[in-house]
Amino acid sequence: MAALKKSFQLKSRDFIHAGEASISVQNMLKQIGIESALIRRVAICAYEGEMNAVMHGENGSFRIEVNTDKIILDISDEGPGIEDIAKAMEKGFSTASEEYREMGFGAGMGLPNMETHSDRLDIESEKGQGTRVVMRFSLSPGSRENKTGQSA
Amino acid sequence: MIGEYVTFQLDKCTGCAHCVKACPTRAIRIRGHKAVHHPDLCIGCGECLRVCPEGVIQSNVESRFPLDKDKTNAAIISPALYSQFPDTMPCDVLRAVKKMGFDHVVDLSFHLEMFQFAVERFIAQNRETRQAPFPLISPICPVVIRLIALKHPTLLDNILPIRRPAVMIADDVRKKLQSIHNITGSEIEIFHITPCPSKALSQEMVLKDEIGSVDRTIGINAVYPEICKHVENIREKELDIYDTDPFANIPNARGPMWSKSGGEINPLRDEGLLAVSGLREVRNCLEKIEMGVFDEMNYIELRVCPQGCLGGPLTAVDRHMAKQTVQKLVRTFGVNRRLPPYKLQRLYDRGWFFANIRPSDFTDYYPDQRRALTIDQMQEIENLVSLLPGVDCGVCGAPDCRTFAEDVVRGRAKRSDCFRLREIDNNKEGNT
Ligand SMILES: Nc1ncnc2c1ncn2[C@@H]1O[C@H](COP(=O)(O)OP(=O)(O)OP(=O)(O)O)[C@@H](O)[C@H]1O
Ligand code: SF4
Ligand code: SF4
Ligand SMILES: [Mg+2]
Repeated sequence: MAALKKSFQLKSRDFIHAGEASISVQNMLKQIGIESALIRRVAICAYEGEMNAVMHGENGSFRIEVNTDKIILDISDEGPGIEDIAKAMEKGFSTASEEYREMGFGAGMGLPNMETHSDRLDIESEKGQGTRVVMRFSLSPGSRENKTGQSA
Repeated sequence: MIGEYVTFQLDKCTGCAHCVKACPTRAIRIRGHKAVHHPDLCIGCGECLRVCPEGVIQSNVESRFPLDKDKTNAAIISPALYSQFPDTMPCDVLRAVKKMGFDHVVDLSFHLEMFQFAVERFIAQNRETRQAPFPLISPICPVVIRLIALKHPTLLDNILPIRRPAVMIADDVRKKLQSIHNITGSEIEIFHITPCPSKALSQEMVLKDEIGSVDRTIGINAVYPEICKHVENIREKELDIYDTDPFANIPNARGPMWSKSGGEINPLRDEGLLAVSGLREVRNCLEKIEMGVFDEMNYIELRVCPQGCLGGPLTAVDRHMAKQTVQKLVRTFGVNRRLPPYKLQRLYDRGWFFANIRPSDFTDYYPDQRRALTIDQMQEIENLVSLLPGVDCGVCGAPDCRTFAEDVVRGRAKRSDCFRLREIDNNKEGNT
């Protein structure tokens, strides 16, 4: 079965390159004709996830898989982990430092946004062990504007 | 036809590939030591003509313009023109253009004010309901619109559906001249003097409303020498233009300011405004808008030219100098509001400001580019990229390795164009 996989390494606290994985995912989805609204949702989730791993985590990795029926974003890191996941999911909850807040982060909206915009969000985390966030998006038959007549 | 913004005079082309690397949409390749342009990917930004060392690439905006004396000729002045003359009053620039032989000169400052009024109203009406998608994106720079159509179609609906000032005025001018001179529309020729190569196609501008509104476009650099000559001679104040010309408004600094990055949003009374200029920064910003980073913003001014339109490829003087000139004009003349709000409100309520065609109607503006790859093809591109040297050497004629891989998968290039793949394929053959 056709599957497209791609992965990226994320560098902690490298805000110059942070966001590049999400952009590259976005471009890839555009090229395979995923419907605009869905790309937007994936892009928002990818970006929030990537930023969390870069900002809160260590040694992040970012993987995307596109199948005929779903898109999976799998973002994990080996950072401090999330102590209370339910709490972290609350709108406005943030442990971001003053420095990050000055950079425009720390609204505590990342995880809530990921939940709203994905079809399914799973978080595995343990204090001191790192965090893994997996987001799924289902591809209904209509969500690929599959233009036939490939220009090959 | 879409995309014919630039012309390549290939006899002078040395195949140096400067343009290939500069093009933001990867619309140029080298084939047989010559540049090959793909108009169906071109957004008319003019980056290629900025970098070509041989002068091969020309904007299709006209550079010569014998005026047709049998017609009534009107020139709409891009606000960037005022920034080109450091010690000249804007009204003298208008006089100088008139001396070139135009029957009418048209200053935009009132229409800029009208546009800005409409922006404020639109934000105020839609902010609470969020019926329009936020952040709104300025419709002013046509290159930005095409970039969105080509690369960020998810954002087409964010483009503010208000007509651009030059379009509003072109319609007005034609109607007014018809009644003043009692002539038909076809006896009038409306020019647009512009810094912008993307306005080369007056028939093919961004919103369909604009079709036919401007007849011909001329680059500022083409008229600059002649205007300089006339500006010298305007010593004694020739007030004539204001008696004979209904469109030669007395410019304040709103126009000059408009041509500088930030000048569109600066006079607005709203919060949550952002101005970004320069191709790289604009692309960056569009990507971020798509990822929701600017969802809290109201309105974003985007200009692909560095420092704004006064940095357009068809300007005549250095953009930093031009910026200085603008700052001086703003200090001297200010940007006061001069139009009564209740009148503007009436126009707004009548729908006068609105573009008939929504930008989202341009979803298929670039059909070829939007032809989707299959998941397998995409994986094939990834596989190829992993084999390629990744140094973007450009010998294959593509701007970078990834684009080359895409060309191969789309059937637009041969594997053997890349020295590394040639090596790999030869070895394979040798082994079997
Ligand atoms: N990968 C992670 N590793 C450790 N802690 C995390 C991670 N991701 C999220 N958290 C914790 O969850 C909290 C909430 O995350 P969320 O993304 O919702 O907000 P934020 O990152 O603080 O701010 P914003 O995303 O709005 O800029 C974070 O402040 C942090 O304490
Ligand atoms: S005008 Fe811009 S988009 Fe068109 S070929 Fe030149 S650099 Fe590329
Ligand atoms: S910034 Fe101004 S001059 Fe440059 S392309 Fe856009 S509208 Fe034209
Ligand atoms: Mg976050």
